[in-house]
Amino acid sequence: MLANRESPDGGPETMAVRPGRDQGTAEPLLRLIDISKSFPGVHALRGVSLEIHAGEVHVILGQNGAGKSSLIKVLCGAYLADDGVIEHKGRRIAIQGPADANGIGVGVIFQEFSLAPYLDIAQNIFLGRERAFAKAGIIDKAAMHAAARDVLAQLGLNYDTWTFAADLGVAQQQMVEIAKALSQNSSILVMDEPTAAISERESERLFEVIARLKQRGVAIVYISHRMREVVALGDRITVMRDGAVVASYRRDEVSPDEMVGAMIGRSLAGLKRREALAAGAPVLTVTNLQTAKLTDISLEIRAGEVVGLAGLVGSGRTEVVRAIFGADPLRTGVIRLDGADFAQRPDRSTRAGLALLPEDRKREGLALPLAVGENATAAALWRLFRRGWFAPSVAEKVCRNLITRLNIATPGPAQFVRNLSGGNQQKVVLGKWLAAGSRLFMLDEPTRGVDIGAKTEIYRLIDDLAKDGAAVLVISSELPELIHLCDRAYVMRDYRIVGHLGRNELSEKAILDLAVHQ
Amino acid sequence: MTTMDSPAPVIRRPQQLAPGTVAVVVRLGLIACIAVLLSSLSPTFATTDNLLNILRQASLLFLVASGLTLVIIAGGLDLSIGANLTLCACLSAAAIKATSQPTAGIAVALGCGVLVGLTNGVLINRVKIPPFLATFGMLWVAQGIAYWFMAGQVVYGFSPAFRFFGSGFWLGVPVPIWVMLVTGACGVIFLSRTTIGREVYLMGANEAAAVLSGIPVARRRTLLYMVSGLMAGLAALIYVARLNAAEPGIGEPLLLPAIAAVLVGGTSLFGGSGGLFRTLLGATILTLIVNALNLLNVSATWHPFVTGAIVVLAVLADAAVNRGARR
Amino acid sequence: MTDQIVHAALTAPAAALLRRIPGVTFILVGMIVVFAIGNPRFLSAVNFTNIGLQSSLLLMLALPMTLIILTAGLDLSVGALLGLCGVVIAELLVAGWGLPASVAAAMLVGLVAGAVNGVLVGYLGLPAFVVTLGTMGLCEGLSLVITNGDPIGGFTPALENFYRSTVFAVPTPVLVAALVYGLLSLLLYRTRFGNYVFAIGGNKDALHLAGINANLVHTGVYLLCSLTVALSALLLLGRTNSAHPSVAVGMEFEAIAAVVLGGTSFEKGQGWLFGTVLGVLAISVLRNGLNVLSVEPSLQVVCVGLLLITALLIDRNRKQASQNGA
Repeated sequence: MLANRESPDGGPETMAVRPGRDQGTAEPLLRLIDISKSFPGVHALRGVSLEIHAGEVHVILGQNGAGKSSLIKVLCGAYLADDGVIEHKGRRIAIQGPADANGIGVGVIFQEFSLAPYLDIAQNIFLGRERAFAKAGIIDKAAMHAAARDVLAQLGLNYDTWTFAADLGVAQQQMVEIAKALSQNSSILVMDEPTAAISERESERLFEVIARLKQRGVAIVYISHRMREVVALGDRITVMRDGAVVASYRRDEVSPDEMVGAMIGRSLAGLKRREALAAGAPVLTVTNLQTAKLTDISLEIRAGEVVGLAGLVGSGRTEVVRAIFGADPLRTGVIRLDGADFAQRPDRSTRAGLALLPEDRKREGLALPLAVGENATAAALWRLFRRGWFAPSVAEKVCRNLITRLNIATPGPAQFVRNLSGGNQQKVVLGKWLAAGSRLFMLDEPTRGVDIGAKTEIYRLIDDLAKDGAAVLVISSELPELIHLCDRAYVMRDYRIVGHLGRNELSEKAILDLAVHQ
Repeated sequence: MTTMDSPAPVIRRPQQLAPGTVAVVVRLGLIACIAVLLSSLSPTFATTDNLLNILRQASLLFLVASGLTLVIIAGGLDLSIGANLTLCACLSAAAIKATSQPTAGIAVALGCGVLVGLTNGVLINRVKIPPFLATFGMLWVAQGIAYWFMAGQVVYGFSPAFRFFGSGFWLGVPVPIWVMLVTGACGVIFLSRTTIGREVYLMGANEAAAVLSGIPVARRRTLLYMVSGLMAGLAALIYVARLNAAEPGIGEPLLLPAIAAVLVGGTSLFGGSGGLFRTLLGATILTLIVNALNLLNVSATWHPFVTGAIVVLAVLADAAVNRGARR
Repeated sequence: MTDQIVHAALTAPAAALLRRIPGVTFILVGMIVVFAIGNPRFLSAVNFTNIGLQSSLLLMLALPMTLIILTAGLDLSVGALLGLCGVVIAELLVAGWGLPASVAAAMLVGLVAGAVNGVLVGYLGLPAFVVTLGTMGLCEGLSLVITNGDPIGGFTPALENFYRSTVFAVPTPVLVAALVYGLLSLLLYRTRFGNYVFAIGGNKDALHLAGINANLVHTGVYLLCSLTVALSALLLLGRTNSAHPSVAVGMEFEAIAAVVLGGTSFEKGQGWLFGTVLGVLAISVLRNGLNVLSVEPSLQVVCVGLLLITALLIDRNRKQASQNGA
C-alpha cells in the first residue's frame, strides 16, 4: 500500500492507524516540508510547509485560488507533488496515489462531491471498503446498511440509507460525504469548506462531531474562509495566498483582523471601494422568474451599475444568470431588456447584448483545444461577419485589439488558450463578450482561480464597463470582493432572493445574515 | 490600461506551422512512401490509368467520409451514412426506372439523404438520444427499409447519360474525381471562410462553451447531419452510376472505411480539429492500402479485417496525439 | 435498483414505486393485450415457448451490455463477436475437435476481443463506440477470412438437440438465460464489482479516490461482456444449426435497444438489470406479433427502432412531469 521508496531505511512499513495519545504537542502526526506543485502557467503551490498534530484542528485560511485545494489534492494523493518532503510520525513517506493516502489514514471531505449518483447512501459511504461486509464475495446488505445508519447517527442524522445519492439535496449530499469520511476512522481528516452548502443547524452538528473527533485524537485539517468558524474551531491557523504560506498562528496568538489582513494581502486591502455613479435607465428587469429550481426571482439592473448577487454556494445564484441568459428553461416570469421582451435562448440573448461569464471557465467558458483568437471571437462571429463570410484578417485584428486592451499575456492570437494562465484565460472569456459588444455583463465568479494581478485588472475592467454605461451583475463567494465592486447587492438563499442591500448597507455581516438561514 | 510598455511578449509567430500543417505533411509523406513501394512492386502501378483508377475509388470513399468529417469535427458521429447511402441508392434507382428521368433519381437521392440526416438531428436534439445511438438506430432502420423496398431484387441497367456521373470522363479525368474536387473545395471554403464553419470547430471543441457563447448549437448540428445525409445521397448517385446497379448491400460495408478515412486523415474523434483536405488524404491512403493488398495477392476477404485494424490503430494514434491537448 | 423498488414497495406510496418503473413496461403490457385480443393463439403455450426462445439469446447479449452501458460505455462488437465465436466453434467441430475444446477456443477469442475493448476504453479512456466499432470490423473480417463467406454446417447435432430440449416444459435456453440473469444480478447488486460498475458510470474519479483500481474494473466489464457473448454462441449454433459470418450482424442493435428500453441511461450509472429483461421481452413480443401479421423481418427492425423512440419519449415526458410535479 504505502510507497516508501524515499524512506531512508528502505523497507516498506505497515501503518496501523492508532488514535494519537500525544495530544498535539511534541512530534506532529504529519509534516509537510517545502511542497511545490506547478501546472503549465500556474504555480499552484510554492514551498508550502505545514504541521498537522493529532487531536488538533488546523485551519487553512485563504481566498479562492490561494492553493488550498491543490494542497488537499497533494494530501489525498490526487496530485503528485513536484518537490518537497512529507513526513508521517517522523518518517519520510511518499504519497503517490489515493491508496498511499488511505494507508496513512488520510480521509478527505471534498467540496466537489465524490458520490456516485446511482449508488445508495450506504454503498456510497462504504465505497471501496465493501470487503468488511462481504462473506465469500457477497455483500451483507443488512449489515452494511446498519453500519451506515450508525455512522449517520453519530452525526445525529436519520436518513433512509436506501436512497440514491442522486435523490439527495446538496446539503444532504454534503452530510453523506462527511459520514463517508467519518466511517473511515481516519487519523487525519481533511474538510474542504464543509459548511459551504449546509444550514446553520447542520453546521452546529458538524462542529460537535469535530469536537468529539478531536477528543479521539483525530487530526483535522479544516479549510475555510469564514472567520467565525476559524475562530471557533481552529487550534492552529495557517494562512495561504497565491500558493504559499504567508502566516501561521496558534489560536490565542492572533486576532481575526490580523488573519484577514494576511489572507487578503496588501494588493486588495489597499484598493479603494469604487465610486458610486449615477445609475441610468433600467437595462434588465426580471419579474417573478420561475424555473424548475428557482422561485420568484425579481431584480433590476440599471445602466452604469454594478450589482452583486450574493449567497452561499448552491443558493441558486448561477441558476439565476443561466435562466436570464436562456441556458435553462423558464417556467414563468418576464425578462425585459431595455423594456422590451426578448427570446430566452442563448443565441438570441447574445445578439440582444447579454453576456455570461460562466463559473467554470474550463468547462463552459473556453474551448481549450482552440487558439486564443478563435475563443476571443466565439461570441462575436455574428456581429463581425454579418453576411456569414469569415475573414481571418478581421478576426485577428479584433483579437489583437483585445489582447492589448485587456493586457492578455500571450504571444499572439494563434497561441492555444490552454497554455495561458488562469487570469489570462479569464481575460479571454471577458474579451469574448467585449468583442460581442454586450451591454449587460453577468459575471459568475469572475476572479476564481485568478492570480492577484489579473484580479485587480478584472476589477478595473468591471469599473470601466460600468463607466461606459454597461450594466454588470457580479456573483462572488468572496464577500470583500463583492463589497469592493458593487453598488448594491441582492442576496439569495434556497433558490430565492431573500434581501436587497443598498450601497450603505453592504457589509459582510449583512450579507451573511441574509444568506445563512438562522 | 498599460499598452505599449506591457511586458506581455507580442511576438509574431509563423502563423500556420500549427499541428495541422504537420499532420498534412506527415500524410503526404506516407502517401509518397506507399506509392514508391507500390511502383517498385508492380510496373503497372505508376501508369496514368491505374493512378486515375485509385483516385476514382478514393473519390467515392471521400464523398461518403466528407459529411462524416464535418459531423466529427462538431463533436458528433454519424453511423448511418452507409445505410443512408444504400437507401438513397435503392430509392433513386427505382425512381429512374419508373420515370426514366435521371433528374428524378437525383432529386430522390439527395432528398432522401437530407431527410435521413434531418431525422438524425431531430432524434438527437428533441428526443435527446446520444448521437451514436440515434445514428446507429438509423443505420438499421434505413437498412431495413431498403431491404424491404427492394424485396430481394437488383435494379440495374441505366441510360448512358446517367452512367456518365460514375464512369464518364471530362478532360481526361473521371467525373467522380471532379465531383470530389468540387465538393472538397466547397467544404474547405465552408469550414474556413464561413462563420458557420468556424462555429463547427467551437462546438466540437467545447459544446457547453459554444452554447454559452450564443452559438445556436442545436440548429447547427441538425444542419451538419443534413449535410452528411446530402453527401451520402450524392455518393449514392455516383455509386449507382458507376456500378450500373443498385441493391441493398452496397452501402453498409462503406461505414468502417469512411470512419477509417476520417481518422487516418487526422481529424480527431474528440472534436474541434481536422478538415476535409485531411480526409481526402486519408481516403487516398486507405485506397492505396487496398491497392497494395491486391498487388500483393491478398484475398479480398481480408479487406474488412484490415479496415477494422486500421480503425483501432487510428483511434490509438488519435488519442496519443490529441489527449494531451485536452487537459 | 431492484433493492430500491422493493424498499419503495415496503415504505413509499405507490406513486413513488410507479415512477421507478420504466415506460416500456406499459408498452409491453399494452402489446400483450392487443396481440392477445387480435390473435387467440398468442396466449398459447407454443407461442410462449417461441417468445422464450426468441428472447433467450438476445437476453444473453443484452444483460452484459447493461453493465457496459451503466459504465457510460457501449459495445458495438457483440453481434460480430457472436458470429465469429459461432464460426470458430463450428469450424473446430467440423475439424474434429471436441465440444469443450471448441468452446474454450471461442472463449479465448472472446477474451482477446474483450481485452482489446476493455484496455482501450478502460485504461486509455478512448470513446467506446468507435473502439468497439473497430473491433466489430476486426471480428466480422476475421469470420469472413475463416469461412471465406460460406456457411458452415454438418457439425454435431448435440447443440440443436440442446437448444430444442426442455426441462419441465421450459425450454433449456430460457433456463440458461435465466441463470445468466441470476448470476449477473448477484454480481451487480451484491458484490464489490457491481458497486464499482455503478460508480464508474456515476463518478469514476470518486472510485479512484477510494483507492480502487477503477481502470481494471472498467476493463473487467468489457471482458465479462465478451466472455458471455462467446458462450452465447452455443445458443446461436443450436438455433441456426449452421454458422455464417453475418448471421448475428445487427444483434448488437437489438441488445442495445433492449437495454435502453429497460430504462438504463448512458449517463451517471443509472439503470436497472431487470429493466433489460423487460426490454428484451418487449422486442420479442413485438417481433412475435409482427411475425403473426407476416411483416417482413427487414421491416421488423424498423419497428424495433420506432419502439425504442416511443419508449424514450414516454420516459422523457414522465420524467419532466415528475420534475414539474415535485
